[in-house]
Amino acid sequence: MSRAKLAHLGIDLPLLPTTSVGSFAKPDYLVEARARHARNELTQAELERLEERATEFWVREQEEIGLDVLVDGEMYRGDMVAYFASLMGGFAQGGLVRSYGNRYYHKPIIVGEIKWPGPMTVGWWKKTQAMTRRPVKGILTGAYTLMDWSFDDHYPGRRAAALALARELRKEVEALVEAGCKIIQVDEPALSVRPEELSVAIEAMHVVTDRLPAYFVTHVCYGAFEFIYPAMLDLPVDNWDLEMSNSGLDLVDLFRRHPFTKDLSFGVVDVHSHVLEEPDVVKERVARALSVLPTEQVWLDPDCGLKTRTVGETSGKLRLVVEAARAARRSLGVTR
Amino acid sequence: MELILANTGSYPRIGDTPAQQRLRRAYQEREQGQLGAEAFTRLQDEVTEEVVREQLAAGVELPTDGQIRWADGLSYLAANLNGVSVNGLLRFFDTNTYFRQPVVTGRLARRGPLFSRDYRQAARAAGRPLKAVLTGPYTMARGSILEGGYRSIHALALAYAAVLAQEVAELAEAGAPVIQVDEPAILRHRADLAILGEALVVLARGKGAARLSLATYFADAVPIYDDLQELTIDLLHLDFTYSPALGRAIGERGASKALSLGLIDARNTRMETRETVFPVLDQVGRRLRTPAHLAPSAGLEYLPRDRARGKLEAMRRLRDAYVGDRR
Repeated sequence: MSRAKLAHLGIDLPLLPTTSVGSFAKPDYLVEARARHARNELTQAELERLEERATEFWVREQEEIGLDVLVDGEMYRGDMVAYFASLMGGFAQGGLVRSYGNRYYHKPIIVGEIKWPGPMTVGWWKKTQAMTRRPVKGILTGAYTLMDWSFDDHYPGRRAAALALARELRKEVEALVEAGCKIIQVDEPALSVRPEELSVAIEAMHVVTDRLPAYFVTHVCYGAFEFIYPAMLDLPVDNWDLEMSNSGLDLVDLFRRHPFTKDLSFGVVDVHSHVLEEPDVVKERVARALSVLPTEQVWLDPDCGLKTRTVGETSGKLRLVVEAARAARRSLGVTR
Repeated sequence: MELILANTGSYPRIGDTPAQQRLRRAYQEREQGQLGAEAFTRLQDEVTEEVVREQLAAGVELPTDGQIRWADGLSYLAANLNGVSVNGLLRFFDTNTYFRQPVVTGRLARRGPLFSRDYRQAARAAGRPLKAVLTGPYTMARGSILEGGYRSIHALALAYAAVLAQEVAELAEAGAPVIQVDEPAILRHRADLAILGEALVVLARGKGAARLSLATYFADAVPIYDDLQELTIDLLHLDFTYSPALGRAIGERGASKALSLGLIDARNTRMETRETVFPVLDQVGRRLRTPAHLAPSAGLEYLPRDRARGKLEAMRRLRDAYVGDRR
């Protein structure tokens, strides 16, 4: 079904398409530049030049490794929520709260009516797509996650805030489609945290994606899927990008009991480990995926974004994904 | 109605001013080997004293130590036990915070007293008794990876209860008037209520003159409200932010236990008002055993420090206004 949609959109992908979730490690010169920019020692234009250089590096790296669907690597983003909250109307930066251990972040606060400020990701998508002939995903954070990972001083409730965000994010998605983007990923890592609110997340995703001509992916990780599966399949997307390896592939048993009916980007490398998996471990994970899903439904990628890894680790993990896909294609008797 | 103003558990350990970030810097220096153990402990003591004083200044009558030393809700205890190692990060319920997951590989045994040591230091600094808080045995078991030593969540929960019972006894001896056992996991695994019941009986044996409190949060307690009343506890903390029907349920069914009313939203910055708090107090007021507690819905570390303090100040204003209005 989704293969037909991709074909209708003019996208021709091999069996077991390979991709990545979104973020990559920032090269040292960019990390340093971002710090200098924060101290007003570097202009916005100077920073952007370095972000473009890093984006081009990652495009070439993805091409050389052999990924089928590319990403821009999010060289211009810090946090997946703070980036959008810093641009959209209605948000203020909140004080520091703890993420884990000794890590803290500024959690945004919704203080007024949410407003789309104009394209937030489209310019970077265009720049990146201009660097390659392979399809590049457009990627944004979803309405439910933006709501859940922000404080709210303004809207009467969580559903109202999520739907207000969805209405404005739809404008971003429309702008991506208008620019020519055909594969759009709407990240919803908070999706499973309140099973009783799954219907709110689904309603918000309808607002964002309905009737738009694109192949939609959602990325979800660290989820308590046992509480929302299979009801979560009602989310109006074509492809679920799920962290599988970090949780010991335990979702595979869930899929055995109730078939997964959408395309699945199956995480075959753990992004939270510095260690590069043995190729046979990754191949075994691919085999497990194919044991419960029709081959046509399976995409392969890392569990999650790779921004916490080094540049070398990032490339190494991506290479493992591509090599495992090629091996699986060979064993299936296809070359692509 | 008599309402004691209590903190529920954690308090933000850093704030946005440079002075309020000295503990964050100290952790970094400690990791880099630039700060000795003694100096690090001294700073933890100082920050504990600071957050206790901040709670008292905001009007809290039963403060906590703020859980300044806790790496997270589970691994702080796990790291003090034999038979357990600490694994990778996992999301803590529906929060955007993460804990390191205990991995149980053998029989649990304490390396020594943990919470009573913290309690004595904080109570001495405060010059008054505090509420002591522990993560409960069921939530510890549910959040652990079981690789050895025990055959089931049930057995593991009872093993955690056995080690926590020692902590409870020591806290009671140290003078803690209320010992709170946090069990958010039970609201998501209601079928395991009997396991929790057994574990609480073990904990209650050592409580002496202290009141044993059970804290539930991060999900709707209404479906098991009646069952919670049957447990071996003296005080029951309820999170009202997930339960729109909780006030009505208490008003209709009453409460055989003293209640801690978690009406102050510890997960959002919006300040509570008379309009949000008073109607619930009206609903439950006639059915409460007094004194009841008024408290944040959960630990306050999910808020920025200035907002956490603001919430506690609002809690005092609202309690005083409510009691004054109804007098």
